[in-house]
Amino acid sequence: MAKVSLIIDDIVVKADKGTTILEAARTAGIDIPTLCSHKDLAPYGACRLCTVEVKRGQQSQLVASCVYPVEEGIVVKTESAPVTRGRKMLLELLWARAPGIQALREYGIKYGITAAVREGMDYGMFPDISGTRTKFEIEPTFCLLCGLCVRYCNEVKRKDAIGFVGRGTEREVVFFPELAANGCSQCEDCYPLCPTGTLPLYYTLAEAQQSA
Amino acid sequence: MPRLNSAANLESLRQQLLDSNKGKRVVAVTNGTDGRTRHSEIVFRALNDEIKKQRLEGKLAVKSTGCHGFCEQEPTVLIMPEEICYVGVKPEDVPEIVSQTLAKGKVVERLLYEDPTSGERITKESEIPFYKSQDRTVLGNNRFIDMGRIGDYIALGGYSALARVLSGMRPQQVIDEVKRSGLRGRGGAGFPTGVKWEFCRKAPGEPKYVIVNCDEGDPGAYMDRSLTEGNPHSVLEGLLIGAYAIGASEGYIYVRAEYPLAVDNVEMAIKQAEEYGLLGNNILGSGFNLKVHVHRGAGAFVCGEETALIASLEGRIGEPRQRPPFPATSGLWGKPTNINNVETWANVPLIINKGADWFRSLGTEKSKGTKIFSLVGKLKNTGLVEAPMGMTLGDIVFNIGGGIPDGKKFKAVQTGGPSGGVIPESLLDTPVDYEELDKLGAIMGSGGMIVMDEDTCLVDVARYFLNFLAEESCGRCVPCREGIYQMLKILDRICEGNGREGDIELLEEIAETVRDFSLCALGKTAANPVLSTIKYFRDEYEEHIKYKRCPAMVCNEIIFTPCKYNCPVKTDVPAFIAHIARGEYREAFDVIRAPNPLPISCGYICHHPCEDRCRSLETGGESISIKALKRFAGDYVLKNGFKPLPKPEVPALEKVAIVGSGPAGLAAAFDLACLGYQPTVFEASSVVGGNLTMVIPDYRLPRSIIELEIDCIKKAGVNILTNTPVGPDLTLDDLFDQGYKAILLAVGAHRSLKLDLPGVDNPGVMEAFGFLEVVKTGKKVSLGKKVGVIGGGNTAIDAARTALRIGAKEVSIIYRRTRAEMPAMKREIEAGVEEGVKIVELAAPARIITDNGKLVSVECLAMQLGEHDETGRRRPIPIPGSEFILQLDNLLLAVGEEPDLSFLPAGHGLEVSQRSTIVTDPETLATGRPGVFAAGDAVTGPSTIADSIANGKLAAVSIDKFLRGKPLVRAYSITAPSPYVEPVERTGEALEPQRFPMPCAPVAERVHNFSMVELGLSEEMARKEAFRCLRCDLRHSAIAKLSEVKVPEPVRQKTEVVRK
Repeated sequence: MAKVSLIIDDIVVKADKGTTILEAARTAGIDIPTLCSHKDLAPYGACRLCTVEVKRGQQSQLVASCVYPVEEGIVVKTESAPVTRGRKMLLELLWARAPGIQALREYGIKYGITAAVREGMDYGMFPDISGTRTKFEIEPTFCLLCGLCVRYCNEVKRKDAIGFVGRGTEREVVFFPELAANGCSQCEDCYPLCPTGTLPLYYTLAEAQQSA
Repeated sequence: MPRLNSAANLESLRQQLLDSNKGKRVVAVTNGTDGRTRHSEIVFRALNDEIKKQRLEGKLAVKSTGCHGFCEQEPTVLIMPEEICYVGVKPEDVPEIVSQTLAKGKVVERLLYEDPTSGERITKESEIPFYKSQDRTVLGNNRFIDMGRIGDYIALGGYSALARVLSGMRPQQVIDEVKRSGLRGRGGAGFPTGVKWEFCRKAPGEPKYVIVNCDEGDPGAYMDRSLTEGNPHSVLEGLLIGAYAIGASEGYIYVRAEYPLAVDNVEMAIKQAEEYGLLGNNILGSGFNLKVHVHRGAGAFVCGEETALIASLEGRIGEPRQRPPFPATSGLWGKPTNINNVETWANVPLIINKGADWFRSLGTEKSKGTKIFSLVGKLKNTGLVEAPMGMTLGDIVFNIGGGIPDGKKFKAVQTGGPSGGVIPESLLDTPVDYEELDKLGAIMGSGGMIVMDEDTCLVDVARYFLNFLAEESCGRCVPCREGIYQMLKILDRICEGNGREGDIELLEEIAETVRDFSLCALGKTAANPVLSTIKYFRDEYEEHIKYKRCPAMVCNEIIFTPCKYNCPVKTDVPAFIAHIARGEYREAFDVIRAPNPLPISCGYICHHPCEDRCRSLETGGESISIKALKRFAGDYVLKNGFKPLPKPEVPALEKVAIVGSGPAGLAAAFDLACLGYQPTVFEASSVVGGNLTMVIPDYRLPRSIIELEIDCIKKAGVNILTNTPVGPDLTLDDLFDQGYKAILLAVGAHRSLKLDLPGVDNPGVMEAFGFLEVVKTGKKVSLGKKVGVIGGGNTAIDAARTALRIGAKEVSIIYRRTRAEMPAMKREIEAGVEEGVKIVELAAPARIITDNGKLVSVECLAMQLGEHDETGRRRPIPIPGSEFILQLDNLLLAVGEEPDLSFLPAGHGLEVSQRSTIVTDPETLATGRPGVFAAGDAVTGPSTIADSIANGKLAAVSIDKFLRGKPLVRAYSITAPSPYVEPVERTGEALEPQRFPMPCAPVAERVHNFSMVELGLSEEMARKEAFRCLRCDLRHSAIAKLSEVKVPEPVRQKTEVVRK
């Protein structure tokens, strides 16, 4: 396999041609935040948290490291100012949808979201966020639309019992009742993938619709 | 039809086609989607029938063509070779066209295009201003081609570029030629087409695919549709050449399903081309094969993005994916794929035929060739425009588009559709090419251009486009899905008047992330409308957020209704009109007087800004006669028993001194009295009312009315002292010493401005303001026969008309601009002219000529209008050597007034401006001296009764805050909705577009005395006029009901409803 040499955060990394920047960084022990990537699934590029700055000579570009293939000679900065600024905004945007969930809270503290660093808050599944100063009005759906469940069911289980419906802000995850009835209850492999832990509720909803 | 097996076959077919049509007149009827919306199919059928009837078939070729560009004028009938162009043709016009033009060669004048500016009829299509400066290289062939006939395309030399490529060029040569031409993608990003082809050609993998992107989704853009409909073979030929160069053997045309005619025509074109051996296997005997399929897209905007389009073609959800890999290496079914926009493909045959050098000769350094724009919005001419790259935006908007209709001002142009940017007037000189638009924060996009006039709110525009994008975003990546959603929420609240400080910065912050972090071009450009409007129209955002104002009067939640929004005292116009419509005249009057201490006077002399932006104007009618209705309500109450409002029962508060008893002082005093304060008005003269009683002529406002209203104000608890001047004997300090806790200076503007004119000291020259005052007191003023008035404001008109009334025989107003620019009220100017006042426009006095000390004439200079000055009016410039003499006995000067502050004793501690006005904090009207406020003309300079009342009311609010020890900060809020008044049930009668003209006394009866000129509406007229109101206020009530917001309590009517 041909090797490509690049610099990530001042470390010279040699990676196989065709691998992504995210994979190359991980082999070098550099952590890049992600919400929608999973080792068994094809890169998806939806959460954009893994965005890094790539410099090619004088040119600089922001790219999603989970889908961007390594190139010879590029210089990657995983925590440059534009990168962290954007990540903070993305986390603020997601926080309004799923306030306080563990994954967001960890990154939130790292990137300085005020609401996330508040002390003594009960971060359960439905945390009490009253009195928290957030950038955006909280309108929780408790789904980040990371698609881990949908993609897992499609790519690994090949069942397509769960999918996206709707477009834009209307987009949501649903179990298709007819398909879900055949086997979801025996599988449930997608449940632990859900970053907000609310996926079982979606299943219950589909179940209710099926029996209705 | 036998297959064409070689280039020679094609050429001989072309010759054959040309020969068979030789000498035939061509009649082209625009019958594309645009024409069909106006029944072009019926016109086309009627034309064919009529031609048969008159036995002219042999001499004519009738064609059903696609759009020619000037869609708004369609159906168009274009007759060649004369190039006679008939526009807006109806089926009933057809017999005349056939019998006159087609049979006899005569032009039917009435069907020709009429230039809206010059009124001239234009015979030739190419002479029509819309087409004149265009270069219709690509779109122009639509005129010559019947949408269903391949022969027409071949006769024009169609497919000869393909023949040339197949018979003599290697694929790389084709790519080199396209590269050399500098052709760039017309779909938006402007990537060099040849380079794209080369990537695909060199990419490993078989088979390769070529795709035509006809997923045109921008609101208002339809150039791809017109091209695909009108000239589908040009797209096919381009695709064939590209496929040959790239090495593809299969092609797709991705068309929106909403373009049924485009789908039909392109499918027919494919079938015909296959029959002719121009598509399919062994094309033109060369061994080159290409199979083309048509795919109907379901109409998602994001499917215009190439990776989403490919996903959709493959049967997956139309969602973009990350590039790289680019489609050139891994596209449709993972194979190398080349996607180009319709217009890009259609350019290719031209480049091959005419050569790369020819193509390079058009356009700018980096953007070559022509570009088709769909020019829409507030323009005189709208349609598809093809112009060389590099034409300036101004040329496109004003030369081709003809400028803005209805005398409105240009405000901005949005290029590139929803993901483009808004460009302001100051940048109209920008040449249109990819780089230049990019620099301005806009994009070329597919070439949509939406022109907006002064009535457009740019915050609302940003909201509109973002709303579109929120619906069209696929929702996959976080920045686009959540970022657009949050930006839209912020814009919503700004437009609703709930914007917060910091919202603009927050929008910019989100926009940056959306732009830099989104997955595809939809997200990356989604912030453009927001960023560009903030960049060029930030003040408009600030107006919305800070002052709760929408300068363009678009955001309904802020303005409520234009009439109430524009009223200085915020009269509930829709409510009082509704009461009048119901016959509840007393209730109407109560609504009028609620915010206004001089309600009847305002019905007589208000300058009625409420009527300026009445929504009835937008539907092509005249605005509701609001002032006349207000007067009707006042007159009704006067006639049927007027009752003053009872004195409010409030605890007695501090004493306040008000200097001046004009509208501002009275309004402030009244409001303060209603709050419980004890206001005393100090009036230097013997009469109360300021200009209302001392200047405004009796034929406009009877003195009895203002006296009645002043009486009401007194009854509310206002103490008025006449003949009590504040000055050396009664200083501001004295007033404070007497226990007044606050002082309001509302002394008006009574000193006439001087005119620097040789001989102005002559006794025959008078100040118009003083003249009006003297006449009003009843003193005799003797004037000569011929009187001149200098000026164009209301004082000038009043003086001129008063002069006529006291015996002048000939009165001329000398004004340095034209009548249209006069600041006086239009109706007053008209009335003056009716009475015989002459207006000498574009003239300025230069010298007073006297004879034995007596004024005999005035020498004037003619003026011309130059550039616009800071007031937006054109500046008058004297024409040297244009002196002329006006014979005059008297000259009245009405060139403006300023406050006379000489009464203020030294050490008054107030700041006075260069215009002699008292300087105050415009937010609160507080002067630099604590406890002293100023309002009205003394602060603003000469203004109107309504503005003065509003100013006085603001002063009362500030004084109240001051006396209660609250911080002096002005609170802004949205225009409060009017109380709900049940609308009158309509019985299906049509709405009158015209208003009832105000009945006036006949000129002969009124011109020699001071009786009222305007007589007021009769009850029947008023009722009917009130019916005309569109009741914009109900929309608010309806929305409030829908969203379960509390609607203001309906005003329960006690009076009997008079039914018609």
